[in-house]
Amino acid sequence: MAKNSEETTSNVADSDEQLIELFAGHGITRDNAAHFRGRLDRQLLMARCGDCGRWQHPTRPMCPACWSWDMQLEEVAGRGTIHLLMKLHQGPAADGVDYEGGHPVVTVELEEQPALRFTSTVTADFPTDQVAIGTPVELEWTERDGIPMPVFAPAVSS
Amino acid sequence: MTDRNPMKDQVAIVGLGSTGFSREGGPSPLAMALAAATEAITDAGLTAADIDGIVATSEPGATGPEKIAAGLGITEATHHTKPTPVAMFSLLDAARAVFSGAADHVLVVTPVVMGAWNSRRAVGDPWRRGTRSGILPVPEDATMAAAYAAWASRYIHEHGATKDPFARVAINSRTNAAANPLAAITAPLSFGAYDAARMIREPLNMYDMDLPVDGADAFVLTTAERARELRHHPVLIHAASTGIVGKNDEDQLDGLHRHGQHVVVDQLKRHTDIWIDDIDLFYPYEGFTIITLAWFENCGFCPPGGAESFLREHWNDDAQRIEIHGRIPVNTHGGSLSEGATRGTGHLREAVHQLRGTAVGRQVDGAEAALVTPGGFFFNPQGAILRRA
Repeated sequence: MAKNSEETTSNVADSDEQLIELFAGHGITRDNAAHFRGRLDRQLLMARCGDCGRWQHPTRPMCPACWSWDMQLEEVAGRGTIHLLMKLHQGPAADGVDYEGGHPVVTVELEEQPALRFTSTVTADFPTDQVAIGTPVELEWTERDGIPMPVFAPAVSS
Repeated sequence: MTDRNPMKDQVAIVGLGSTGFSREGGPSPLAMALAAATEAITDAGLTAADIDGIVATSEPGATGPEKIAAGLGITEATHHTKPTPVAMFSLLDAARAVFSGAADHVLVVTPVVMGAWNSRRAVGDPWRRGTRSGILPVPEDATMAAAYAAWASRYIHEHGATKDPFARVAINSRTNAAANPLAAITAPLSFGAYDAARMIREPLNMYDMDLPVDGADAFVLTTAERARELRHHPVLIHAASTGIVGKNDEDQLDGLHRHGQHVVVDQLKRHTDIWIDDIDLFYPYEGFTIITLAWFENCGFCPPGGAESFLREHWNDDAQRIEIHGRIPVNTHGGSLSEGATRGTGHLREAVHQLRGTAVGRQVDGAEAALVTPGGFFFNPQGAILRRA
């Protein structure tokens, strides 16, 4: 939960219009906007039911388990294991992304709840041979185009 | 999940039309729709005056049912819809329209159109610019097509699988495509060429995924009773299903052990008198090869993780194709890996050709029943058992 946000960019998204522009490629909607606002403060927020405690991702306005509308955005610890993996050899141009050799995309199963997952990439210095399904990881914040971006690093502690 | 299947054998597919498929770009979506539609209506022995239902598709860039009706000179219609893309949504909607009495002769027209959203070639075409969304997704996205690569790695991890069964699916399609004049790609594929292929979304390479194409398929459906008076031997919809699980976000799926394919199979088994020991033809979707391995396993040909040994055992090495029990060929038209991303309409069209005996140059003798399973894991799994009347 690195909150080393000395250069926080939260001020650049005062309006919905600005937020939408910053996260256009992420499929931002009215239902998940709070998750993306959290990213600007280097917080990985996920929706949790205020009544039954179940997490869900992506964020939706109602709990599918108990139909409560009391959905809270809570910070997850960011610890988990790589559950799905692909290495992209082509794709859209993006700051810091090199498709030569395969850009890793990992879906991490978080420790908060079975099958609660978050998809991103890994840190630039992640040992290549450890980018594999089953590897324990933890959240780290980097930046893309100056915007905080949650990525995964090898777990240092358990 | 219901056991009721009052529609069993009550609706027939009586007309087929297809433009064939091309990576070079075809005529306009409306032109393709009209070419396939007129061929299907003529093939059925009907005219525009007989058609009182039109089912299109909400495929991006495709033409709506109202414009197809105008273009065909249809006088009036009492059923017109454009369901979600992927073949069975449209076919089943038409079948249910016939069965319910909404219409007597329903035309299904399902064009696929290369767009700037899925084809680099189309980006340079000014007529296709309108299909560009303008927003590029971030690379770290495990939804839609990319999800199949992510789950392919999970499959390999869980079962200790190699790429060998993926290769056999791809090679089987290309082998069969050689006898299909509608296919976009007919060059044979070798194991060596597969292994050397450029990775796209590792572990999937360029031969593990279909390609954007232009083209259209069309079908005409009517009642089984009316079908007996028409030109071709009728092919009946014996059972059909579409299915999803509720938790179907691509990267949040509980696992490979339970997704929409399992729902489809469970429903089909409740509805059918014909199952995998009785069929003569199998048409599992292979827009991504991992989908095909899952269909083999989830239909019960082999246990979870068993596709690798199953496909090796049921491989005809001389012919370079899959033949289940030496008897049941798979994707006899070359599938989506050869025709391109038809969303499974090719699988349905070919099954009908085989069952009515019009698969010229590749006819399977005495074929009576086919299992057709378009769609993937998340929001479009679907299946049908078609039988010769």
